[in-house]
Amino acid sequence: MKVKLPLVICLIMGIMGMVAYYVPHKIIQDFDNEWRNTALRIIFAFSLALGVGSIIRHHLEKIKRKREFFKYSYVTLISLFLTAFIGLFGGIDGKGLIKMQIGKFNFDIQTIYVNMAIPLGATMFSLLAYFMASAAFRAFRARNFEAVLLLIAAFIVMLASVPPIARLLPKLLYISEWILDVPNTAAKRGMLFGITLGVLSTSLKILLGIERGWLGGK
Amino acid sequence: MKPVKSLFDYIDKIPKDKALLISVDYTPDTEAELQPMTIALLRHAFCRKIKVGVLTLTLLGLGLAEDALRVVTKEFNEKAINNEDSIIYGRDYVFLGWQTPPLVPLLGMGESITKVFPVDYYGNRTDTLPLLKEIKNYRDVGIVVSISGSAIPMWYVTYAQTTFGVKVGAGFTAVSAADYYPYLNSGQLTGLLAGMRGGAEYEELVEENFKIKGRRKATEAMSAQTTAHLTIILLIILGNFIYFYKKKK
Repeated sequence: MKVKLPLVICLIMGIMGMVAYYVPHKIIQDFDNEWRNTALRIIFAFSLALGVGSIIRHHLEKIKRKREFFKYSYVTLISLFLTAFIGLFGGIDGKGLIKMQIGKFNFDIQTIYVNMAIPLGATMFSLLAYFMASAAFRAFRARNFEAVLLLIAAFIVMLASVPPIARLLPKLLYISEWILDVPNTAAKRGMLFGITLGVLSTSLKILLGIERGWLGGK
Repeated sequence: MKPVKSLFDYIDKIPKDKALLISVDYTPDTEAELQPMTIALLRHAFCRKIKVGVLTLTLLGLGLAEDALRVVTKEFNEKAINNEDSIIYGRDYVFLGWQTPPLVPLLGMGESITKVFPVDYYGNRTDTLPLLKEIKNYRDVGIVVSISGSAIPMWYVTYAQTTFGVKVGAGFTAVSAADYYPYLNSGQLTGLLAGMRGGAEYEELVEENFKIKGRRKATEAMSAQTTAHLTIILLIILGNFIYFYKKKK
């Protein structure tokens, strides 16, 4: 029952989704709309509660067992509860149930997002620049004919997106466009066909219960 | 570039009774590259006085969309002489917010936008907003432009365009833009903004055609991009030179 019930639900939901796409009858479409707008939202709301519960449990466990870097778990949990409190009771602009302002110092959710989340996210992404520079020096070798072709194409596309070079050599822009429009599109199209066929077969296997990895457990 | 010009030309020809729907589907890590695209699109729409709906399919996009709207509406309202020129919430634009799961707004907006978003981001009932009394579903939307660092614009192509026939445009980071040229060539994407350069070109087109002055962050960042690209090319050449020299020895 523990295995059969989820498989049956998966099959029924999959068939419902497919039928709604192909059958334009009002009853089917209304049922599909109602299912999507009501039931699916409720399910996802519960998954949000599940996600939050899971992160709290993971970090409490880490603190209890004093695992490596457990002190950062305190930071995670305090940030989680604090921002949830500010978001729930402060409103979007800090003028909700509780005013999120002390004098001229605002700490509403939007201020926290713009002044903390955006710079932190941008910083993490910026670290990639150093990895790119290191990879460019150490890894991009013209070892064979294909590697040389790849490097030439990469140089042309990179130089074409550099305004001073593009202005000096206008033909470079056309060559770059051609590389993206023709060989790149041809290769990507081939990959997309393969990926789509793979997705189709995996989806069918999941719906029919042949693929059971998503159930978890043994 | 052609993909940028096609998107610009299409948005430039949207009838006044249709809306531009902007889906802000990126996160703070790609904000530097993609936020200028959102700002340029908003400037274009407000200059043309076409209605704008903004939503997001990712939670982290909410703050970024709010920030972009605040910047552009402030720009326009500072120069406005009368009520007609001003950008007024509810009349000229709405910020619908975020809904989960993504399938709900993607398919639900084909029937009714107000049913999917009964309240907007600020808590206003959407059926009371003047804009949404005219823009009811995808049939009243000229084009959906999804700006994302991942494959979210493809969700609009797969679900919204296939089922309802709505036009889709996209803005991507430069690293992922090459993956979506097949969709551009097949016509599934009306236009494509690829990376910082795409954003800078769109800003240029908006300023050239509407003679408006605003901060052009993508254009400003082109000098940094130039330095970065030339450095990478130099490092590749240097690395290969040392490799072949050592090999010869």
